Amino acid sequence: MIEVKNVTKKYGNFTAVNNISFTVKDGEVVGLLGPNGAGKSTTMNMITGFIEQSEGTIEINGYDTIKKTKKAKKQIGYMPENVPLYPELTVKEFVTYMAELKLVARAKRKENVQEVLKETGLEEVQNKIIKNLSRGYKQRVSMAGALVGNPEVLILDEPTVGLDPKQIIEIRNLIKNLGKKHTVIVSSHILSEISQVCERVIILNKGKIVAVDTPANLEEKTKEQNILYLTVEDPEEKMASIQSKIKDIKEISMVKDNEDGTKQYKVVSEAQKDVRKTLFEILPKEGITIFELKKAEASLEDAFIKLVETTEDKKEKQETKKKKEKVNKQEKEQKNKEKEENKNKGGKK
Amino acid sequence: MWAIIKKEFKSYFLSPIGYVVVGILLLVCSIFFYLTSVQTMSVDLSSLYYYVALYGLIIAAPILTMRMFAEERKTGTEQLLLTSPISITKIVLGKLIGALGVIIITLLISFGYYAIVSFFAKTSIIPVLTSMLGFILISTAAISVGMLASSITENQIISAVITIAFLLMSLFLENISTIFSKLSIINFYNKFPSGIVSLTEVAGLVSFSFVFIALTILVMNRRRVSH
Repeated sequence: MIEVKNVTKKYGNFTAVNNISFTVKDGEVVGLLGPNGAGKSTTMNMITGFIEQSEGTIEINGYDTIKKTKKAKKQIGYMPENVPLYPELTVKEFVTYMAELKLVARAKRKENVQEVLKETGLEEVQNKIIKNLSRGYKQRVSMAGALVGNPEVLILDEPTVGLDPKQIIEIRNLIKNLGKKHTVIVSSHILSEISQVCERVIILNKGKIVAVDTPANLEEKTKEQNILYLTVEDPEEKMASIQSKIKDIKEISMVKDNEDGTKQYKVVSEAQKDVRKTLFEILPKEGITIFELKKAEASLEDAFIKLVETTEDKKEKQETKKKKEKVNKQEKEQKNKEKEENKNKGGKK
Repeated sequence: MWAIIKKEFKSYFLSPIGYVVVGILLLVCSIFFYLTSVQTMSVDLSSLYYYVALYGLIIAAPILTMRMFAEERKTGTEQLLLTSPISITKIVLGKLIGALGVIIITLLISFGYYAIVSFFAKTSIIPVLTSMLGFILISTAAISVGMLASSITENQIISAVITIAFLLMSLFLENISTIFSKLSIINFYNKFPSGIVSLTEVAGLVSFSFVFIALTILVMNRRRVSH
Protein backbone atom coordinates (compact mmCIF):
# COMPACT_ATOMS: atom_id res chain seq x y z
CA MET A 1 0.00 0.00 0.00
CA ILE A 2 1.28 3.40 -0.95
CA GLU A 3 -0.05 6.51 0.71
CA VAL A 4 0.87 9.89 -0.67
CA LYS A 5 -0.43 12.77 1.41
CA ASN A 6 -0.30 16.44 0.42
CA VAL A 7 3.05 16.06 -1.25
CA THR A 8 4.74 19.09 -2.79
CA LYS A 9 8.14 19.30 -4.42
CA LYS A 10 9.71 22.67 -5.09
CA TYR A 11 12.91 23.53 -6.91
CA GLY A 12 13.57 27.10 -5.92
CA ASN A 13 10.55 28.98 -7.19
CA PHE A 14 9.45 26.20 -9.51
CA THR A 15 6.85 23.80 -8.15
CA ALA A 16 7.30 20.45 -9.86
CA VAL A 17 4.63 18.64 -7.87
CA ASN A 18 1.89 20.62 -6.22
CA ASN A 19 0.04 19.20 -3.22
CA ILE A 20 -0.90 15.79 -4.54
CA SER A 21 -2.53 13.01 -2.52
CA PHE A 22 -3.46 9.49 -3.52
CA THR A 23 -3.38 5.94 -2.26
CA VAL A 24 -2.58 2.73 -4.05
CA LYS A 25 -4.04 -0.38 -2.47
CA ASP A 26 -2.27 -3.73 -2.16
CA GLY A 27 -2.26 -5.64 -5.41
CA GLU A 28 -3.50 -2.72 -7.44
CA VAL A 29 -1.99 -1.61 -10.73
CA VAL A 30 -2.16 2.13 -11.06
CA GLY A 31 -1.12 4.20 -14.03
CA LEU A 32 0.50 7.57 -13.72
CA LEU A 33 -0.28 9.55 -16.80
CA GLY A 34 0.64 12.97 -17.99
CA PRO A 35 2.39 14.99 -20.67
CA ASN A 36 6.13 15.56 -20.44
CA GLY A 37 7.05 17.66 -17.44
CA ALA A 38 3.84 16.86 -15.59
CA GLY A 39 5.71 15.60 -12.56
CA LYS A 40 5.41 11.85 -13.13
CA SER A 41 9.07 11.05 -12.63
CA THR A 42 9.38 13.49 -9.75
CA THR A 43 6.48 11.78 -8.02
CA MET A 44 8.05 8.38 -8.58
CA ASN A 45 11.43 9.59 -7.40
CA MET A 46 9.86 10.77 -4.18
CA ILE A 47 8.07 7.49 -3.61
CA THR A 48 11.28 5.55 -4.11
CA GLY A 49 13.17 7.86 -1.79
CA PHE A 50 15.59 9.08 -4.44
CA ILE A 51 14.61 12.64 -3.66
CA GLU A 52 12.87 14.13 -0.68
CA GLN A 53 9.58 15.98 -0.91
CA SER A 54 9.47 19.60 0.27
CA GLU A 55 6.15 19.07 2.04
CA GLY A 56 3.82 16.20 2.87
CA THR A 57 4.36 12.56 3.72
CA ILE A 58 4.71 9.33 1.77
CA GLU A 59 4.20 5.95 3.39
CA ILE A 60 5.05 2.61 1.82
CA ASN A 61 3.31 -0.24 3.64
CA GLY A 62 3.19 2.02 6.67
CA TYR A 63 6.86 3.06 6.56
CA ASP A 64 7.51 6.76 6.13
CA THR A 65 10.00 7.38 3.32
CA ILE A 66 11.89 9.99 5.33
CA LYS A 67 11.69 8.67 8.87
CA LYS A 68 12.04 4.96 8.09
CA THR A 69 14.02 5.25 4.87
CA LYS A 70 15.66 1.84 4.96
CA LYS A 71 12.48 -0.13 5.60
CA ALA A 72 10.50 1.91 3.09
CA LYS A 73 13.15 1.37 0.41
CA LYS A 74 13.21 -2.35 1.09
CA GLN A 75 9.56 -2.61 0.02
CA ILE A 76 10.22 -1.13 -3.39
CA GLY A 77 11.51 -2.37 -6.71
CA TYR A 78 12.25 0.56 -8.98
CA MET A 79 12.78 0.67 -12.70
CA PRO A 80 13.94 4.21 -13.46
CA GLU A 81 13.33 6.10 -16.67
CA ASN A 82 16.00 5.69 -19.40
CA VAL A 83 17.01 2.28 -17.99
CA PRO A 84 20.28 3.07 -16.23
CA LEU A 85 22.53 0.01 -16.13
CA TYR A 86 26.18 -0.80 -15.55
CA PRO A 87 27.25 -1.58 -19.12
CA GLU A 88 30.47 -3.34 -18.12
CA LEU A 89 28.71 -6.05 -16.12
CA THR A 90 27.03 -9.17 -17.44
CA VAL A 91 23.27 -9.57 -17.03
CA LYS A 92 23.70 -12.05 -14.22
CA GLU A 93 26.29 -9.92 -12.47
CA PHE A 94 24.04 -6.91 -12.65
CA VAL A 95 20.99 -8.68 -11.29
CA THR A 96 23.10 -10.28 -8.56
CA TYR A 97 24.48 -6.86 -7.64
CA MET A 98 20.95 -5.49 -7.43
CA ALA A 99 20.01 -8.43 -5.21
CA GLU A 100 22.94 -7.62 -2.95
CA LEU A 101 21.99 -3.95 -2.84
CA LYS A 102 18.50 -4.98 -1.83
CA LEU A 103 19.94 -7.06 0.99
CA VAL A 104 18.63 -10.39 -0.29
CA ALA A 105 20.00 -13.06 2.05
CA ARG A 106 23.05 -14.84 0.66
CA ALA A 107 21.39 -18.25 0.82
CA LYS A 108 18.42 -17.15 -1.29
CA ARG A 109 20.31 -14.90 -3.68
CA LYS A 110 21.27 -17.33 -6.42
CA GLU A 111 17.85 -18.89 -6.55
CA ASN A 112 16.12 -15.51 -6.55
CA VAL A 113 18.32 -14.19 -9.34
CA GLN A 114 17.59 -17.23 -11.50
CA GLU A 115 13.87 -16.91 -10.83
CA VAL A 116 13.87 -13.29 -11.93
CA LEU A 117 15.98 -14.01 -15.01
CA LYS A 118 13.48 -16.68 -15.99
CA GLU A 119 10.51 -14.42 -15.36
CA THR A 120 11.91 -11.69 -17.57
CA GLY A 121 13.10 -14.08 -20.27
CA LEU A 122 16.77 -13.34 -19.79
CA GLU A 123 18.03 -16.83 -19.04
CA GLU A 124 19.69 -17.24 -22.41
CA VAL A 125 21.59 -13.96 -22.31
CA GLN A 126 22.52 -14.01 -18.64
CA ASN A 127 26.23 -14.27 -19.34
CA LYS A 128 26.32 -11.55 -21.98
CA ILE A 129 27.77 -8.16 -21.22
CA ILE A 130 24.99 -5.58 -20.92
CA LYS A 131 26.76 -3.16 -23.25
CA ASN A 132 26.21 -5.57 -26.16
CA LEU A 133 22.50 -6.10 -25.62
CA SER A 134 19.70 -4.59 -27.69
CA ARG A 135 17.41 -1.95 -26.25
CA GLY A 136 14.62 -4.43 -25.60
CA TYR A 137 16.87 -6.70 -23.62
CA LYS A 138 18.32 -3.79 -21.66
CA GLN A 139 14.81 -2.83 -20.71
CA ARG A 140 14.22 -6.34 -19.44
CA VAL A 141 17.45 -6.29 -17.49
CA SER A 142 16.30 -3.10 -15.84
CA MET A 143 12.97 -4.76 -15.08
CA ALA A 144 14.80 -7.77 -13.63
CA GLY A 145 16.74 -5.38 -11.41
CA ALA A 146 13.46 -4.02 -10.09
CA LEU A 147 11.95 -7.45 -9.54
CA VAL A 148 14.83 -9.07 -7.71
CA GLY A 149 14.35 -9.41 -3.98
CA ASN A 150 10.62 -9.87 -4.52
CA PRO A 151 9.56 -6.37 -3.44
CA GLU A 152 5.90 -5.82 -2.64
CA VAL A 153 5.75 -2.51 -4.44
CA LEU A 154 6.93 -1.98 -8.00
CA ILE A 155 7.54 1.45 -9.47
CA LEU A 156 8.03 1.34 -13.24
CA ASP A 157 8.91 4.60 -14.95
CA GLU A 158 7.98 4.40 -18.63
CA PRO A 159 8.81 0.71 -18.98
CA THR A 160 7.98 0.38 -22.67
CA VAL A 161 9.64 3.44 -24.19
CA GLY A 162 11.79 2.57 -27.18
CA LEU A 163 10.52 -0.97 -27.64
CA ASP A 164 9.11 -2.54 -30.77
CA PRO A 165 5.43 -3.57 -30.77
CA LYS A 166 6.15 -7.21 -29.98
CA GLN A 167 8.32 -6.31 -27.04
CA ILE A 168 5.73 -3.83 -25.81
CA ILE A 169 3.14 -6.59 -25.72
CA GLU A 170 5.57 -8.84 -23.87
CA ILE A 171 6.38 -6.22 -21.25
CA ARG A 172 2.72 -5.35 -20.93
CA ASN A 173 1.83 -8.96 -20.22
CA LEU A 174 4.65 -9.13 -17.75
CA ILE A 175 3.26 -6.10 -15.92
CA LYS A 176 -0.21 -7.63 -15.93
CA ASN A 177 1.17 -10.77 -14.36
CA LEU A 178 3.13 -8.79 -11.83
CA GLY A 179 -0.04 -7.02 -10.80
CA LYS A 180 -1.33 -10.29 -9.42
CA LYS A 181 1.38 -10.42 -6.77
CA HIS A 182 2.60 -6.85 -6.42
CA THR A 183 1.37 -3.35 -5.97
CA VAL A 184 2.40 -1.56 -9.13
CA ILE A 185 2.67 2.04 -10.27
CA VAL A 186 3.40 2.45 -13.97
CA SER A 187 4.02 5.76 -15.64
CA SER A 188 3.57 6.26 -19.30
CA HIS A 189 2.38 8.67 -21.88
CA ILE A 190 1.12 5.87 -24.07
CA LEU A 191 -2.52 5.78 -23.13
CA SER A 192 -3.62 2.57 -24.73
CA GLU A 193 -1.02 0.84 -22.65
CA ILE A 194 -2.31 2.30 -19.42
CA SER A 195 -5.87 1.38 -20.22
CA GLN A 196 -4.88 -2.20 -20.90
CA VAL A 197 -2.69 -2.71 -17.88
CA CYS A 198 -4.07 -0.50 -15.14
CA GLU A 199 -7.13 -0.70 -12.99
CA ARG A 200 -6.93 2.94 -12.10
CA VAL A 201 -5.36 5.97 -13.73
CA ILE A 202 -4.00 9.08 -12.09
CA ILE A 203 -3.68 11.92 -14.56
CA LEU A 204 -1.12 14.56 -13.72
CA ASN A 205 -0.65 17.89 -15.40
CA LYS A 206 1.74 20.64 -14.37
CA GLY A 207 2.33 19.01 -11.01
CA LYS A 208 -1.32 18.62 -10.11
CA ILE A 209 -3.70 15.68 -10.15
CA VAL A 210 -6.28 16.33 -12.83
CA ALA A 211 -8.28 13.13 -12.48
CA VAL A 212 -8.26 9.76 -10.72
CA ASP A 213 -10.54 7.09 -12.13
CA THR A 214 -10.76 3.82 -14.00
CA PRO A 215 -9.84 4.06 -17.69
CA ALA A 216 -13.43 3.22 -18.71
CA ASN A 217 -14.95 5.89 -16.49
CA LEU A 218 -12.54 8.48 -17.74
CA GLU A 219 -13.54 7.79 -21.30
CA GLU A 220 -17.19 7.95 -20.37
CA LYS A 221 -16.90 11.13 -18.36
CA THR A 222 -15.17 13.16 -20.95
CA LYS A 223 -17.38 12.05 -23.78
CA GLU A 224 -19.47 14.97 -24.97
CA GLN A 225 -21.12 13.51 -28.00
CA ASN A 226 -21.86 10.26 -29.76
CA ILE A 227 -20.26 9.84 -33.13
CA LEU A 228 -21.50 7.26 -35.63
CA TYR A 229 -20.05 6.34 -38.98
CA LEU A 230 -22.70 5.36 -41.45
CA THR A 231 -22.15 3.91 -44.91
CA VAL A 232 -25.24 3.99 -47.10
CA GLU A 233 -26.47 3.66 -50.65
CA ASP A 234 -28.60 6.70 -51.25
CA PRO A 235 -29.81 6.90 -54.89
CA GLU A 236 -32.27 9.70 -54.24
CA GLU A 237 -29.80 11.89 -52.34
CA LYS A 238 -32.05 12.04 -49.32
CA MET A 239 -29.43 11.90 -46.61
CA ALA A 240 -29.35 15.67 -46.28
CA SER A 241 -32.96 15.76 -45.22
CA ILE A 242 -32.57 13.10 -42.54
CA GLN A 243 -31.30 15.53 -39.96
CA SER A 244 -34.63 17.32 -39.87
CA LYS A 245 -36.46 14.03 -39.40
CA ILE A 246 -34.49 12.81 -36.39
CA LYS A 247 -34.28 15.66 -33.94
CA ASP A 248 -31.57 14.06 -31.76
CA ILE A 249 -29.04 14.37 -34.55
CA LYS A 250 -26.90 17.43 -34.23
CA GLU A 251 -24.93 17.13 -37.40
CA ILE A 252 -24.58 15.01 -40.52
CA SER A 253 -21.64 15.40 -42.81
CA MET A 254 -20.25 13.32 -45.65
CA VAL A 255 -16.88 11.76 -44.99
CA LYS A 256 -16.19 10.13 -48.33
CA ASP A 257 -17.80 9.13 -51.57
CA ASN A 258 -16.95 5.49 -52.26
CA GLU A 259 -16.41 4.28 -55.79
CA ASP A 260 -19.05 1.54 -55.48
CA GLY A 261 -21.81 4.12 -55.18
CA THR A 262 -22.00 4.14 -51.41
CA LYS A 263 -21.26 7.15 -49.27
CA GLN A 264 -19.91 7.38 -45.76
CA TYR A 265 -21.47 9.91 -43.39
CA LYS A 266 -20.51 11.06 -39.93
CA VAL A 267 -23.52 11.39 -37.64
CA VAL A 268 -23.13 13.33 -34.44
CA SER A 269 -25.64 13.23 -31.59
CA GLU A 270 -25.63 14.13 -27.94
CA ALA A 271 -23.74 11.89 -25.55
CA GLN A 272 -26.77 10.49 -23.73
CA LYS A 273 -28.72 9.79 -26.87
CA ASP A 274 -28.22 6.77 -29.08
CA VAL A 275 -29.74 7.32 -32.50
CA ARG A 276 -28.78 3.96 -33.97
CA LYS A 277 -32.18 2.41 -33.51
CA THR A 278 -34.04 5.34 -35.06
CA LEU A 279 -31.64 5.36 -37.97
CA PHE A 280 -32.44 1.74 -38.71
CA GLU A 281 -36.13 2.49 -38.59
CA ILE A 282 -36.22 5.65 -40.62
CA LEU A 283 -33.57 5.23 -43.31
CA PRO A 284 -35.21 2.26 -45.13
CA LYS A 285 -38.45 4.25 -45.30
CA GLU A 286 -36.57 6.95 -47.17
CA GLY A 287 -35.18 4.43 -49.62
CA ILE A 288 -31.72 4.50 -48.15
CA THR A 289 -29.91 1.18 -47.70
CA ILE A 290 -27.54 0.84 -44.77
CA PHE A 291 -24.31 -0.93 -45.61
CA GLU A 292 -22.46 -0.29 -42.41
CA LEU A 293 -23.05 1.46 -39.12
CA LYS A 294 -20.36 1.78 -36.54
CA LYS A 295 -19.87 3.69 -33.36
CA ALA A 296 -16.68 5.68 -32.95
CA GLU A 297 -15.05 4.69 -29.67
CA ALA A 298 -14.12 7.61 -27.51
CA SER A 299 -10.53 6.86 -26.68
CA LEU A 300 -8.58 7.51 -23.55
CA GLU A 301 -6.47 9.77 -25.72
CA ASP A 302 -9.41 12.11 -26.15
CA ALA A 303 -10.13 11.99 -22.45
CA PHE A 304 -6.56 12.73 -21.62
CA ILE A 305 -6.14 15.61 -24.02
CA LYS A 306 -9.41 17.09 -22.90
CA LEU A 307 -8.55 16.91 -19.22
CA VAL A 308 -5.12 18.34 -19.76
CA GLU A 309 -6.36 21.09 -22.04
CA THR A 310 -9.21 22.19 -19.84
CA THR A 311 -6.89 22.62 -16.87
CA GLU A 312 -4.43 24.47 -19.03
CA ASP A 313 -7.09 26.72 -20.48
CA LYS A 314 -8.31 27.70 -17.04
CA LYS A 315 -4.83 28.54 -15.93
CA GLU A 316 -4.00 30.47 -19.05
CA LYS A 317 -7.17 32.45 -18.84
CA GLN A 318 -6.47 33.32 -15.26
CA GLU A 319 -2.93 34.26 -16.08
CA THR A 320 -3.85 36.44 -19.03
CA LYS A 321 -6.54 38.07 -16.91
CA LYS A 322 -3.99 38.86 -14.23
CA LYS A 323 -1.56 40.14 -16.81
CA LYS A 324 -4.20 42.35 -18.37
CA GLU A 325 -5.12 43.72 -14.97
CA LYS A 326 -1.49 44.43 -14.28
CA VAL A 327 -1.03 46.20 -17.61
CA ASN A 328 -4.19 48.22 -17.05
CA LYS A 329 -2.98 49.23 -13.60
CA GLN A 330 0.38 50.27 -14.96
CA GLU A 331 -1.22 52.29 -17.73
CA LYS A 332 -3.50 54.03 -15.27
CA GLU A 333 -0.61 54.82 -12.99
CA GLN A 334 1.38 56.21 -15.86
CA LYS A 335 -1.52 58.36 -16.98
CA ASN A 336 -1.97 59.64 -13.45
CA LYS A 337 1.68 60.48 -13.26
CA GLU A 338 1.57 62.31 -16.56
CA LYS A 339 -1.46 64.25 -15.40
CA GLU A 340 0.29 65.24 -12.19
CA GLU A 341 3.38 66.26 -14.08
CA ASN A 342 1.31 68.37 -16.44
CA LYS A 343 -0.41 69.95 -13.46
CA ASN A 344 2.93 70.71 -11.86
CA LYS A 345 4.24 72.16 -15.07
CA GLY A 346 1.11 74.21 -15.37
CA GLY A 347 1.56 75.39 -11.80
CA LYS A 348 5.10 76.49 -12.46
CA LYS A 349 4.08 78.43 -15.50
CA MET B 1 28.53 -2.53 1.90
CA TRP B 2 30.50 -5.57 0.79
CA ALA B 3 28.45 -5.66 -2.41
CA ILE B 4 29.54 -2.13 -3.29
CA ILE B 5 33.20 -2.77 -2.47
CA LYS B 6 33.17 -5.87 -4.66
CA LYS B 7 31.39 -4.19 -7.54
CA GLU B 8 33.60 -1.09 -7.47
CA PHE B 9 36.78 -3.14 -7.37
CA LYS B 10 35.57 -5.34 -10.19
CA SER B 11 34.55 -2.34 -12.29
CA TYR B 12 38.05 -0.89 -12.06
CA PHE B 13 39.44 -3.96 -13.75
CA LEU B 14 36.57 -4.39 -16.20
CA SER B 15 37.51 -0.97 -17.55
CA PRO B 16 41.04 0.20 -18.34
CA ILE B 17 41.07 2.51 -15.31
CA GLY B 18 42.34 -0.07 -12.83
CA TYR B 19 45.17 -1.11 -15.15
CA VAL B 20 46.07 2.48 -15.95
CA VAL B 21 46.30 3.40 -12.27
CA VAL B 22 48.35 0.36 -11.32
CA GLY B 23 50.52 0.97 -14.37
CA ILE B 24 51.18 4.62 -13.61
CA LEU B 25 51.98 3.96 -9.96
CA LEU B 26 54.35 1.14 -10.87
CA LEU B 27 55.97 3.29 -13.55
CA VAL B 28 56.63 6.04 -11.00
CA CYS B 29 57.85 3.31 -8.64
CA SER B 30 60.26 1.95 -11.21
CA ILE B 31 61.65 5.38 -12.10
CA PHE B 32 62.37 6.20 -8.48
CA PHE B 33 63.64 2.70 -7.83
CA TYR B 34 66.22 3.34 -10.51
CA LEU B 35 67.04 6.83 -9.24
CA THR B 36 67.13 6.09 -5.51
CA SER B 37 68.32 2.50 -5.38
CA VAL B 38 69.92 1.33 -8.59
CA GLN B 39 71.83 4.48 -9.43
CA THR B 40 73.06 5.07 -5.90
CA MET B 41 73.56 1.37 -5.09
CA SER B 42 71.33 1.78 -2.02
CA VAL B 43 69.16 -0.85 -0.38
CA ASP B 44 67.08 1.81 1.31
CA LEU B 45 63.58 1.80 -0.17
CA SER B 46 62.18 4.55 2.05
CA SER B 47 62.48 7.40 -0.44
CA LEU B 48 60.93 5.21 -3.13
CA TYR B 49 57.52 5.15 -1.42
CA TYR B 50 57.84 8.81 -0.47
CA TYR B 51 58.24 9.86 -4.09
CA VAL B 52 55.44 7.60 -5.28
CA ALA B 53 53.19 9.18 -2.67
CA LEU B 54 54.33 12.63 -3.74
CA TYR B 55 54.13 12.29 -7.52
CA GLY B 56 52.23 9.09 -8.22
CA LEU B 57 49.14 9.90 -6.21
CA ILE B 58 48.65 13.28 -7.87
CA ILE B 59 48.02 11.40 -11.11
CA ALA B 60 46.49 8.22 -9.72
CA ALA B 61 43.96 9.69 -7.28
CA PRO B 62 42.03 11.77 -9.84
CA ILE B 63 41.88 8.87 -12.31
CA LEU B 64 40.73 6.52 -9.60
CA THR B 65 38.02 8.80 -8.28
CA MET B 66 36.73 10.79 -11.23
CA ARG B 67 34.06 8.31 -12.23
CA MET B 68 32.98 7.33 -8.71
CA PHE B 69 29.87 9.49 -8.42
CA ALA B 70 30.10 11.65 -11.55
CA GLU B 71 29.56 8.71 -13.89
CA GLU B 72 26.76 7.21 -11.83
CA ARG B 73 25.00 10.54 -11.88
CA LYS B 74 25.45 10.99 -15.60
CA THR B 75 24.23 7.52 -16.57
CA GLY B 76 21.49 7.54 -13.94
CA THR B 77 22.70 4.42 -12.14
CA GLU B 78 22.85 6.70 -9.12
CA GLN B 79 19.11 6.13 -8.92
CA LEU B 80 19.64 2.42 -8.45
CA LEU B 81 22.14 3.00 -5.68
CA LEU B 82 20.28 5.71 -3.83
CA THR B 83 16.93 3.93 -3.92
CA SER B 84 18.42 0.77 -2.45
CA PRO B 85 18.14 0.24 1.31
CA ILE B 86 21.88 0.82 1.69
CA SER B 87 22.74 4.05 3.48
CA ILE B 88 24.71 6.81 1.81
CA THR B 89 27.51 6.44 4.36
CA LYS B 90 27.94 2.82 3.39
CA ILE B 91 27.84 3.67 -0.30
CA VAL B 92 30.56 6.29 0.12
CA LEU B 93 32.74 4.06 2.29
CA GLY B 94 32.19 1.12 -0.04
CA LYS B 95 33.41 3.12 -2.99
CA LEU B 96 36.41 4.38 -1.02
CA ILE B 97 37.44 0.88 -0.01
CA GLY B 98 36.92 -0.38 -3.56
CA ALA B 99 39.36 2.26 -4.82
CA LEU B 100 41.80 1.42 -2.05
CA GLY B 101 41.74 -2.13 -3.38
CA VAL B 102 43.47 -0.91 -6.53
CA ILE B 103 46.14 0.80 -4.41
CA ILE B 104 46.63 -2.36 -2.37
CA ILE B 105 47.12 -4.38 -5.56
CA THR B 106 49.86 -1.93 -6.53
CA LEU B 107 51.49 -2.21 -3.13
CA LEU B 108 51.46 -5.98 -3.29
CA ILE B 109 53.21 -5.87 -6.67
CA SER B 110 55.70 -3.38 -5.26
CA PHE B 111 56.99 -6.09 -2.94
CA GLY B 112 58.94 -7.04 -6.05
CA TYR B 113 61.32 -4.12 -5.44
CA TYR B 114 61.96 -5.36 -1.95
CA ALA B 115 62.61 -8.82 -3.34
CA ILE B 116 65.16 -7.40 -5.80
CA VAL B 117 66.95 -5.41 -3.11
CA SER B 118 67.00 -8.25 -0.59
CA PHE B 119 68.51 -10.47 -3.26
CA PHE B 120 71.62 -8.32 -3.17
CA ALA B 121 71.82 -7.41 0.50
CA LYS B 122 70.17 -8.15 3.78
CA THR B 123 67.61 -5.47 4.52
CA SER B 124 64.80 -5.03 7.01
CA ILE B 125 61.22 -5.38 5.82
CA ILE B 126 59.83 -3.16 8.58
CA PRO B 127 60.34 0.21 6.84
CA VAL B 128 58.72 -1.28 3.74
CA LEU B 129 55.70 -2.39 5.75
CA THR B 130 55.30 0.93 7.55
CA SER B 131 55.74 2.71 4.21
CA MET B 132 52.93 0.64 2.82
CA LEU B 133 50.69 1.25 5.81
CA GLY B 134 51.35 4.96 5.48
CA PHE B 135 50.78 4.72 1.76
CA ILE B 136 47.34 3.23 2.32
CA LEU B 137 46.50 6.08 4.71
CA ILE B 138 47.78 8.81 2.44
CA SER B 139 45.95 7.22 -0.49
CA THR B 140 42.75 7.24 1.55
CA ALA B 141 43.25 10.96 2.07
CA ALA B 142 43.89 11.63 -1.63
CA ILE B 143 40.97 9.43 -2.69
CA SER B 144 38.60 11.20 -0.31
CA VAL B 145 39.54 14.52 -1.91
CA GLY B 146 38.75 13.05 -5.31
CA MET B 147 35.54 11.53 -4.03
CA LEU B 148 34.26 14.89 -2.89
CA ALA B 149 35.17 16.37 -6.25
CA SER B 150 33.33 13.55 -8.02
CA SER B 151 30.25 13.97 -5.86
CA ILE B 152 29.75 17.61 -6.78
CA THR B 153 29.80 17.24 -10.57
CA GLU B 154 28.54 14.92 -13.23
CA ASN B 155 31.50 15.66 -15.45
CA GLN B 156 34.39 13.29 -14.89
CA ILE B 157 36.96 15.65 -16.36
CA ILE B 158 35.97 18.48 -14.08
CA SER B 159 36.15 16.09 -11.15
CA ALA B 160 39.68 15.04 -12.12
CA VAL B 161 40.82 18.61 -12.66
CA ILE B 162 39.53 19.69 -9.24
CA THR B 163 41.36 16.81 -7.59
CA ILE B 164 44.65 17.48 -9.39
CA ALA B 165 44.33 21.19 -8.66
CA PHE B 166 43.79 20.57 -4.97
CA LEU B 167 46.62 18.08 -4.61
CA LEU B 168 49.06 20.25 -6.59
CA MET B 169 48.13 23.55 -4.98
CA SER B 170 48.42 22.09 -1.50
CA LEU B 171 52.09 21.41 -2.28
CA PHE B 172 52.85 25.04 -3.07
CA LEU B 173 50.46 26.83 -0.75
CA GLU B 174 52.59 26.13 2.29
CA ASN B 175 55.33 28.24 0.76
CA ILE B 176 52.99 31.21 0.93
CA SER B 177 52.06 30.66 4.52
CA THR B 178 52.66 27.79 6.93
CA ILE B 179 48.96 27.90 7.83
CA PHE B 180 48.37 25.87 4.67
CA SER B 181 50.91 23.18 5.55
CA LYS B 182 48.21 20.97 7.06
CA LEU B 183 46.40 20.94 3.71
CA SER B 184 49.26 19.11 2.11
CA ILE B 185 48.93 15.40 2.79
CA ILE B 186 52.54 14.66 1.95
CA ASN B 187 53.54 16.47 5.16
CA PHE B 188 52.00 13.55 7.03
CA TYR B 189 54.14 11.04 5.21
CA ASN B 190 57.62 11.87 6.48
CA LYS B 191 58.16 9.27 9.15
CA PHE B 192 56.39 6.23 7.70
CA PRO B 193 59.12 5.56 5.12
CA SER B 194 61.80 5.41 7.76
CA GLY B 195 59.96 2.72 9.67
CA ILE B 196 58.21 4.84 12.27
CA VAL B 197 54.46 4.91 12.74
CA SER B 198 53.95 8.35 14.21
CA LEU B 199 50.69 9.05 15.95
CA THR B 200 50.61 12.64 14.69
CA GLU B 201 50.94 11.49 11.12
CA VAL B 202 48.33 8.75 11.46
CA ALA B 203 45.95 11.14 13.21
CA GLY B 204 46.66 13.81 10.60
CA LEU B 205 45.85 11.56 7.65
CA VAL B 206 42.85 9.95 9.31
CA SER B 207 41.29 13.26 10.30
CA PHE B 208 42.03 14.74 6.88
CA SER B 209 40.24 11.80 5.24
CA PHE B 210 37.44 11.98 7.76
CA VAL B 211 36.67 15.59 6.86
CA PHE B 212 36.48 14.87 3.14
CA ILE B 213 34.49 11.67 3.56
CA ALA B 214 32.03 13.49 5.81
CA LEU B 215 31.73 16.29 3.26
CA THR B 216 31.04 13.77 0.50
CA ILE B 217 28.30 12.12 2.57
CA LEU B 218 26.89 15.57 3.28
CA VAL B 219 26.84 16.48 -0.40
CA MET B 220 25.12 13.22 -1.33
CA ASN B 221 22.52 13.64 1.41
CA ARG B 222 21.94 17.22 0.47
CA ARG B 223 21.26 16.22 -3.11
CA ARG B 224 18.23 14.21 -2.04
CA VAL B 225 16.61 17.40 -0.88
CA SER B 226 17.73 19.81 -3.57
CA HIS B 227 17.95 17.41 -6.49
